[in-house]
Amino acid sequence: MEQSVMDKLIILADSAKYDVACTSSGSSRAGRAGMIGSAYAPGCCHTFTADGRCVSLLKVLLTNCCAFDCGYCVNRRSNDLPRAAFTPRELAELTIEFYRRNYIEGLFLSSAVLVSPDYTTELMIKALTLLRQEYRFNGYIHAKAIPGTSPELIAQLGLLADRLSVNIELPSERSLGLLCPDKARRSIFSPMRQIASASAASSRELTVYKKAAPFAPAGQSTQMIVGASPESDYQILRLTEGLYQKYSLRRVFFSAYIPVAEDTRLPALDTKPPLLREHRLYQADWLLRFYQFRADEILDEENQNFNPYLDPKCNWALHHYHLFPVDVNRAPFEMLLRVPGIGPTSAKRIRAARRQASLGLDELRRMGVVLKRAQYFITCRGFAGAHTEAGSAGRQRIVRALIDPGAFNAGCEQLSLFSAPAVQQLAAGGMAPRLAGKLVQEEAITCLAKAI
Amino acid sequence: MFGQSDLEQWLCPAHSLPAGARYAPPAQRRGSARPVRNADVVYRYDVGFEGFLCCVFESFSSHEVPFAVWTPERETTTLYPVKQIETDPQKAGRVFASFAKKLGKDTERLIMTCFLSGRDDKEVLMLRFLHLAYATGPGVLALLGHPDVAPMYAMQKHTAREVEKWMGFIRFEESGGMLGAVIHPKNYVLPLLKNHFCNRFPEENFLIYDATHMAVLLYQDHKATLTELAAPLTLPSPDEKESYYQQLWKQFYNTLAIQQRRNEKCRRTLCPKRYWADMTELRDEL
Ligand code: SF4
Repeated sequence: MEQSVMDKLIILADSAKYDVACTSSGSSRAGRAGMIGSAYAPGCCHTFTADGRCVSLLKVLLTNCCAFDCGYCVNRRSNDLPRAAFTPRELAELTIEFYRRNYIEGLFLSSAVLVSPDYTTELMIKALTLLRQEYRFNGYIHAKAIPGTSPELIAQLGLLADRLSVNIELPSERSLGLLCPDKARRSIFSPMRQIASASAASSRELTVYKKAAPFAPAGQSTQMIVGASPESDYQILRLTEGLYQKYSLRRVFFSAYIPVAEDTRLPALDTKPPLLREHRLYQADWLLRFYQFRADEILDEENQNFNPYLDPKCNWALHHYHLFPVDVNRAPFEMLLRVPGIGPTSAKRIRAARRQASLGLDELRRMGVVLKRAQYFITCRGFAGAHTEAGSAGRQRIVRALIDPGAFNAGCEQLSLFSAPAVQQLAAGGMAPRLAGKLVQEEAITCLAKAI
Repeated sequence: MFGQSDLEQWLCPAHSLPAGARYAPPAQRRGSARPVRNADVVYRYDVGFEGFLCCVFESFSSHEVPFAVWTPERETTTLYPVKQIETDPQKAGRVFASFAKKLGKDTERLIMTCFLSGRDDKEVLMLRFLHLAYATGPGVLALLGHPDVAPMYAMQKHTAREVEKWMGFIRFEESGGMLGAVIHPKNYVLPLLKNHFCNRFPEENFLIYDATHMAVLLYQDHKATLTELAAPLTLPSPDEKESYYQQLWKQFYNTLAIQQRRNEKCRRTLCPKRYWADMTELRDEL
């Protein structure tokens, strides 16, 4: 029976949904007469799914028919599931009609490997060319480059897309070899290198010659699956840092592994996706990108994994308590960024405002500083730092202010997905989730207070 | 995000007046450093930006910040005396010209954005700010923590945030070659949305209807106009093609959610329920 566009959309969106990278950021392009669309550099969310993720792009696979057999993937050859493929025209039309109704910022096109990487990429190029040239689409396009595609085709793809990405899939070569027998490490890193250098070359050209064709102007990103293989958080973070530095990636995305197959190489089917861990990785990723932290300041050989109860910045501050308090009116910008309760925006505001006038608590509050946390780490005009009673009671008070309530199932009767593993265990043993959260929280506070 | 020129075009007919009349607010004039007092008086003006500029004029000439400022829709009973502020384009023009001149372009822009705020006390906050601003000069913008400055930034942020949300959440429906959308914003966001959508859809005809303020932004034949309506507007119900795409979109939306990660609270923080009625895929979940 002929599949309708609706059938195809269901199948091909379902197969693509585990890819988490759905942003439309990084490109800024004004609309043009005779065309449709523009690109807005900060990115734009058009809706949010029931799991609270931003939907920015029409994220679909061109096809989910796959010649490869990656263990963690629903589309693998050996899995029995309905298959479909869009024709280039169907895809172009869908994109345009969605875009006109302001449902989306553009298209995120990825694909399983139909026949071979080159064959698939040629189909993708066809669809995107149609969209750009015949439909005059000027909005955002993110295309996924398939490992093993020849460099000539990658070069063509980069001229059609705003952003390219090659998924690194798993955080180490060993796991990759084990779970994706068809993908070699080299086949992932060589397109990454090619994209990085082509993108850099094109932005150099653009500065000289305005009409040069931009190659993936929004740069490249990648994604890896967390929790399908045994790497530690530290290994993942080091890898992430390396990717930013070496391949000038714009973003590294993490995706908590959701079991899709019974496989002895993988976690059991009833394993919960490690969402808290994913969340901590994103927090650490922010510290790398916006807070001037290095990976080995956040974690190290001795502490390979994140503290489930604290966000990485608060964790750092607790372990470096001797460096505080800092004087808000004098501390260097880098240090302001490290104060719990001060983010990049408020740090910038402080830097600007303290040139005009010496700042006190009221000013800080009005500038968006979260004093509940910051008070133990700063001094300012008329405020010599919050002093707590000496001894463990005082230390516990500080910890209590910093601790991440989300990890303790705070305020929820149902067990929250973000609860720390210890809470989940207690709850699994039959304890009321709320009580379990409370118990673990008190434990954690006592324990963390000793670390100060 | 949005151009200065848009704001001017929508907000301030006074802008096109000759900016020749030099205007220094009385508080700045030599020898008239009379302190500003909080007056037990209420101003009432006609809701327009020019009318507000006349409130500014009044506030400076009588060295007072009123207890409240009313518009015809925002009236309650009060024991305080009410001053009716008449809109005088010439006065308004003088005040407006002095913003850029005395306070700088950035301050002017801040004031105009704040005027779009949906807060009931925006005028009083703006008057307070202006008294400080004329005493300080353009440097007033750096007093981020000052009690008369911080609320301005808060209003600006609130408005800018809402604009950004609507940029994503607006849903057009096609009917007879025209794309139409309805929104229920808290702030008067249409002037700030205009550039984005005109730029994005240069070859389309579209309209966005702000049902809260009964205003409509119409873009037709490459020209945009903003009009305030006397009666509410209803858009035609979707035809077959339109319903088809709405179905596809809803299907896509529902397919995307990963059940193992369902997180209602997070969705509602990022996409508050007040937007849902205007969003194709969420309307049914209300
Ligand atoms: S190549 Fe891609 S689609 Fe195919 S099985 Fe591997 S991960 Fe899945």
